Amino acid sequence: MNASPVIAVTGLHRGENPQPGSAVIRSLRRVYPELRIIGLVYDSLESGLFSEEDAPDAAFTMSYPGAGEEAFWQRLDAIREIECFDVLIPCLDAEMGPLVDAPEKLRERGIHACLPTAASFKCRDKSKLDELCERTHCRTPQTIAVSDVNSLHQAAVTLGGNVFVKGRYYEARHAITPAAREAAYWHMLEQWGAPVLVQENVLGEEYNVVGLGDGRGHILGSCSIRKMLRTAMGKGFGGMVVRDPQLDAVAQSLIAELRWNGPFELEFVKSEGPQGEYCLIEINPRFPAWCDFPSTLNCNLPAAALELALGWQPREPLRHASPGKFFIRHAIDMTGDIRDLAALTTSGQFFRQPREVIPHPASSRSL
Amino acid sequence: MKLASIPAQIRHNGQPHAMEPAMVAAPVLAPHAELASFHFQTVTWQADGFGFDATSGEFFTASPTALMVMQALSEGMARPQILERLTSRFQVTRSTAERDLESFLAELVHIGLTPESN
Repeated sequence: MNASPVIAVTGLHRGENPQPGSAVIRSLRRVYPELRIIGLVYDSLESGLFSEEDAPDAAFTMSYPGAGEEAFWQRLDAIREIECFDVLIPCLDAEMGPLVDAPEKLRERGIHACLPTAASFKCRDKSKLDELCERTHCRTPQTIAVSDVNSLHQAAVTLGGNVFVKGRYYEARHAITPAAREAAYWHMLEQWGAPVLVQENVLGEEYNVVGLGDGRGHILGSCSIRKMLRTAMGKGFGGMVVRDPQLDAVAQSLIAELRWNGPFELEFVKSEGPQGEYCLIEINPRFPAWCDFPSTLNCNLPAAALELALGWQPREPLRHASPGKFFIRHAIDMTGDIRDLAALTTSGQFFRQPREVIPHPASSRSL
Repeated sequence: MKLASIPAQIRHNGQPHAMEPAMVAAPVLAPHAELASFHFQTVTWQADGFGFDATSGEFFTASPTALMVMQALSEGMARPQILERLTSRFQVTRSTAERDLESFLAELVHIGLTPESN
């Protein structure tokens, strides 16, 4: 291992549907500003590469998960010959499967990671949520996995017509008409493969819990929010910290049952009415894109995950975020230079250089 | 004159919407000048009429009259006492105050701020 560990983070694009990597980098640097961090990217236009504040020190292109596991490990080895990173923080759902299925491949390379076991990873799969929820007495919307159009329509009828059509790993579209369902089905199939999931639509407010499990059934730290703003795709664009013992208890029972190790995000809808119950929509096996928000409130979960992966003593304790604190996303334009793109596109690697300062003509005028 | 009978707005999904047209609100006295904040059910209310529910993350605004009623409820007052307080602090007949209070209590149940038994 390097004297000062090098950390690899994926998922650096913060576009319309932001990925978590840049937020993870920002959180890590809040506690460990001296860390060297590299980005593993799938596209030379991932916006986090061009950020002033949370860009990695270097970046390398990865092979797409669709290229197969062998290509994935080969590319990882090739990158490590240039930058021998010690810790991997995967931030994209599609990357998780190969990693949790083969932890020995990480171990034999000396790569530390904070990952769930294959068994607990599978138990939180979207198609298995009802079994998990039955064991933990948690409500979850009825979900049916389908692999052809006839079963899609049949499932939608069974669930009352007003449904969500969801990708195996990611994405969901609200669909009421058969045409909308079918369009969503083909989109999810093309993007994420079979099966496609059809889920009952539960009306209510959305709540999310980000946390870190210790692998023995305990939550080391967590932060719960109510989604305040949503994009047209249903993604949270603003959230407010809440502290509800009922929500904490549901989260604790799920993580205890899974004996979850590493970061997680639980997504709930609280059904409408005074007696509304939390209904589990899904469990994401990674940090969410808003994970830097709790870090500003003394609940730095990415830093705690790094410490857990390396067996380090925590530099800062995890505290409860105060209810009423909120975040709202603010999209701004990142700038870059064609030379940065050229480096990534031709050689698959990019080392961050100090920014060229272009003086404003007015600033050089003598008074 | 009538009471402003309910919280004028509730914030929901980031989109404020009026729950019911506010009636007339003209308290005889500044009713809560002495009030810093108080808890009613799971909501913490400020003297300016802003309420935040830390368990649900929802926030509300209330008219001075509604605020006074909720403070009275938080102190455990019964309806006759609340009516007494309303008619002494606001220029309102007992029958109007009674009607508006019933309507407001029903609204509190509807938005989940009090159980039906209240």
